[in-house]
Amino acid sequence: MRSIIALATITFKEGIRNRSLFGIALLALFLFGLNVTVAGFFMRDVGKVTVDMNLSALSFAGLLLIFFVGVNLMAKDIDRKTIHLVLSKPISRSQYIWGKYFGIQLFVSASLLILFICSCLTVGLLLNLYPNYFIGFSWMTFILACFFVLVKFSVLTAIVVFFSSITSNSLITLIFSLSSYVAGEAIEEVVFYLKSEFAAQEKMISESLQNFIDIVSYLIPNFAVFNFTLEAAHGLAIPSQRVFLSLGYGAIYIVMLLILASFIFSRREFN
Amino acid sequence: MPDVVFDLISKTYNPGLFKKKVQAVKGLSFEIRQGEVFGLIGPNGAGKSTTIRMILGLIRPDSGRILFRGKPLRETTIQREVGYLPENPYLYDHLTLLELLQFCGKTSGIEPEQIKRRNQELMEKLNLSEAQKRPLRTFSKGMLQRAGICFALLHDPSIVVLDEPMSGLDPIGRRMVFDLILELKEQGKTIFFCSHILNDVERLCDRIALINKGQLIKQFVRDDFLQDGDKTVFLHTSILDEIQQQKIQSLGGCIRLEGEGHLLAISDDDYHSVNSYLGKSNVKILGCRSEWMSLEDLFIKTVKEQDQ
Repeated sequence: MRSIIALATITFKEGIRNRSLFGIALLALFLFGLNVTVAGFFMRDVGKVTVDMNLSALSFAGLLLIFFVGVNLMAKDIDRKTIHLVLSKPISRSQYIWGKYFGIQLFVSASLLILFICSCLTVGLLLNLYPNYFIGFSWMTFILACFFVLVKFSVLTAIVVFFSSITSNSLITLIFSLSSYVAGEAIEEVVFYLKSEFAAQEKMISESLQNFIDIVSYLIPNFAVFNFTLEAAHGLAIPSQRVFLSLGYGAIYIVMLLILASFIFSRREFN
Repeated sequence: MPDVVFDLISKTYNPGLFKKKVQAVKGLSFEIRQGEVFGLIGPNGAGKSTTIRMILGLIRPDSGRILFRGKPLRETTIQREVGYLPENPYLYDHLTLLELLQFCGKTSGIEPEQIKRRNQELMEKLNLSEAQKRPLRTFSKGMLQRAGICFALLHDPSIVVLDEPMSGLDPIGRRMVFDLILELKEQGKTIFFCSHILNDVERLCDRIALINKGQLIKQFVRDDFLQDGDKTVFLHTSILDEIQQQKIQSLGGCIRLEGEGHLLAISDDDYHSVNSYLGKSNVKILGCRSEWMSLEDLFIKTVKEQDQ
């Protein structure tokens, strides 16, 4: 455990001191500022637009954090052979995987926490400026939606760690992780469409393709389960069952992916 | 009991689809004895780094066995006993040296007080105390190399594996590392290192293994270069003709071709007779040497012989 904490700490420090972090933070702050500036144009929908824009800004910043900084925190270790130094110490391969995961996760969480505070300030400001247009707005739902943005990125971090453990190039890790993210965002809609009457009427999709998509839908993470933007924007209550199911799904997916990554990584050779 | 035994180790790399497999190491056998300085030399691509990585478990051999203090590598915790410095170490850019060493100490299971003491001790020894709070990305190549040495030695390992430890160091840094290796040897540590700076290898190592194309070609001991150097004079002369060579040999001297001249080895008993003959025959003395054959000579000769 001591090794995992030590590795997570240096990974976090390495990430949080990366200069690209300032660029990403500035971009997110710009989006929050833009929200304040243009909010007045939407009149009755100010509340919905504000929540939507804030959650999107958080999501976008999180994606940039993971793909520009997070990927390099593990993949570069292998790329630049820093891993030779690390594994020459009494650290097992699975400890390395878990340590890296917690380090990247800590870095993403800390960065998102700062952006979340900025986001709350933006929402609070607009709430004070246009109190009549925030009917039904609930801080609780908004915070929960923000929390699930973090859960989504926890899963994405596990995907990054998994691909870093099987490839030796940070660019390949980036491409695979990005593809998984895009597929994971869309998979639920694809499956719904295939099971809908429209698809049945068109008869364009072969059975084998349908089976393939069925299998893929179980392998690829379904990021739609972490999306509570609609509920937050309209102030709808989120059933606790859905919260726990989404959390459980995320946790199981992360653990399984990291166990698989540890298994592959411990069989890997480092030339 | 030897610290490390390589027993008929072979390793082939598979570079990927449609690419030819590369045999990095072929039936390699040698042993590293406790408390000795063992050098591994060879041309680029000879399999030196592969050998080192196999000791650390970063690469697994295809066949053969590696024993660490009599036990197969898998059944041991060699990482607790080994301090490793890779060639051109890439360290974490945004960490400070102090943070890197603290990480090393924590993962090696050292108590915080001891980490602090060892940190100061090593940083002072390698002249890095002033840079301890600077990010590693601001370090020069030589400083990174010294930082890597601190990282390798922090947990006071009993075996030190150094891959090109002198690479990128200025003369002062080289001297510092040279003295450090000697100090480690005095402390009874086993040192295994690869270097292309053969002069250092020759001066530091008790035994040297020369590998080429993944195979062990020859093993030398220190005496192979010295050839009773205390009682022998080595003279570098212009080219000698057949008759001169026969005469010198009859007077007790040894001759071998060296560059654009000959090298003579003369024992102090025969020195006067050979020297007066050289004077009479007007043989030009180009200089004197301290050894009959340097490691560099042996290295080049052996590699050329094998290539032919």
